[in-house]
Amino acid sequence: MEVARVSDAEGPLILEVQDLVARYGAQTAVDGLSFSIRRGEIFGLLGPNGAGKTTTLSVIEGLRKPDGGRVTVDGADTERSALSVKAKLGVQLQASSFQSELTIEQLARLYSGLYGLNLQRRQLRERLADAGLAQEAAKPFKKLSGGQQQRFSLMVATIHDPPILLLDEPTSGLDPQSRRQLWDRIEGSRRRGGSILLTTHSMEEAQAVCDRVAIIDRGRLQALGAPNELVAMHREDPRVLAVSRGDVTLEDVFIGLTGSAIRD
Amino acid sequence: MTETVAPPRPPIGLTLRSLVRADTTVMLRSRQALILNFILPIVILVTTNRGKLGNTGFLIGMAITYGLLSSALIGYSITVARDREAGVFQRLRVTPTPTWAIMASRLGVQLVTSLVVGIVVLVVGSIMHDTYYTPGEYLLLLAVAVLGGAVFLSIGQALVGLVKSATAINAIGRVLFILLILVGILGSTGILGDDFKNIAAWTPVGALINLFSGVLSLSTWGATETGALLVCFGYIVVFAVIGIRWFRWEPQ
Ligand SMILES: Nc1ncnc2c1ncn2[C@@H]1O[C@H](COP(=O)(O)OP(=O)(O)OP(=O)(O)O)[C@@H](O)[C@H]1O
Ligand SMILES: [Mg+2]
Repeated sequence: MEVARVSDAEGPLILEVQDLVARYGAQTAVDGLSFSIRRGEIFGLLGPNGAGKTTTLSVIEGLRKPDGGRVTVDGADTERSALSVKAKLGVQLQASSFQSELTIEQLARLYSGLYGLNLQRRQLRERLADAGLAQEAAKPFKKLSGGQQQRFSLMVATIHDPPILLLDEPTSGLDPQSRRQLWDRIEGSRRRGGSILLTTHSMEEAQAVCDRVAIIDRGRLQALGAPNELVAMHREDPRVLAVSRGDVTLEDVFIGLTGSAIRD
Repeated sequence: MTETVAPPRPPIGLTLRSLVRADTTVMLRSRQALILNFILPIVILVTTNRGKLGNTGFLIGMAITYGLLSSALIGYSITVARDREAGVFQRLRVTPTPTWAIMASRLGVQLVTSLVVGIVVLVVGSIMHDTYYTPGEYLLLLAVAVLGGAVFLSIGQALVGLVKSATAINAIGRVLFILLILVGILGSTGILGDDFKNIAAWTPVGALINLFSGVLSLSTWGATETGALLVCFGYIVVFAVIGIRWFRWEPQ
């Protein structure tokens, strides 16, 4: 299949995914995927349910070994330099859990230690307050509301100020205030030179925050480029025109390229 | 010293300290499990206070063994299985933490718990049964308790290595608990005949009970006790190898 690649990454790369293959038994979840992210870039990985986004992230995060291809972070191979790569990643998993017996303050202390930071109680409190969780410091993770849980996961992901953040559907379940705040944080992290790889099902969000997006389906790349470029490029595509109602949007491009059937 | 900028590789000392602190807190917060570790042994000691069932060394050994089974075998395997299923390990594994450190911290905290179970049961037992042990005997009994903890932990590790589902591990753990106790205790009383007694002496519980009695009468230490010691080390090695070889961090 021909892939629309309107712009390639320029400048120093922080993440490179090359011909990545990942299988679950007989099923191929990621099928020869390649893309790269440069420093300071916000990159969106878009695709229908089951497209292989979380699987791609879990190979980058070192949770799975690739069945083919390779991933490098800041030039280092994720398999060969697993621990030093992990030290550079800030990770928010789509579904993750924390020890239910610990309060979020104790969890914050644990995770800062695991990233090599020896934070004092006052500093931990500051970080929690910064995430709007000052009142919840003594609660276990499970007793937080869904959005508070998201904010806590994000706080843990950024506790060591990583050069690259991997966020799997970070805004799902957030209220508009928290979503705006997250976007602001993402913006702030970019200004400090950090890169972000995020997945989202909101095309509006992708358009608003991402410098470039990759649309994937069945583990394969369908399109890659800046949101506006993708819209401009596919304005005349009959698959896109067929689903568009008025002005062509990124969502039209997404549905046009990945089909309108619901994925199992 | 306060680090506020993350280093390229976290120092392993800080990693281990953070893990041990968290695992200890989890242990202390699991009230129900903690109470179970101590309640059965103490019930055994109290109810046998006036009876004529066996000698004191045997009873205290049995009580400690109960506590070790409940903390090391059941407690350990259930928390590992539950954390694996809930995604706790997944979150830990995306940090720059070597996987051996995650396990070592949990095992270390469990071994210390075995020691604490040993101390509490010994002290309560010697008060309830009006027995006096020399400091040397105390140390030897505690050494056997830690050895027993290690035996049951390795069995627990084999269990979480071979079985994935937390529900199944919960069920199998309980059956194992009862089986090990029954075979070890019924066997060593000799109620079921000499053949059975000889076999039971080589089971984990049987061997431990022989060791508990053995260290209290070192003058009669013989082939049975040496055999029991060797068989305990054998169990640790075999089950630990199985448990580590087949362990999977992912729930499926
Ligand atoms: N642990 C697993 N075992 C077997 N198959 C899996 C596993 N995890 C994912 N899959 C399969 O791999 C494919 C890709 O899943 P993945 O979670 O990567 O999708 P996704 O793009 O993140 O979807 P979503 O938007 O729903 O989060 C799916 O078909 C899914 O059923
Ligand atoms: Mg996903």
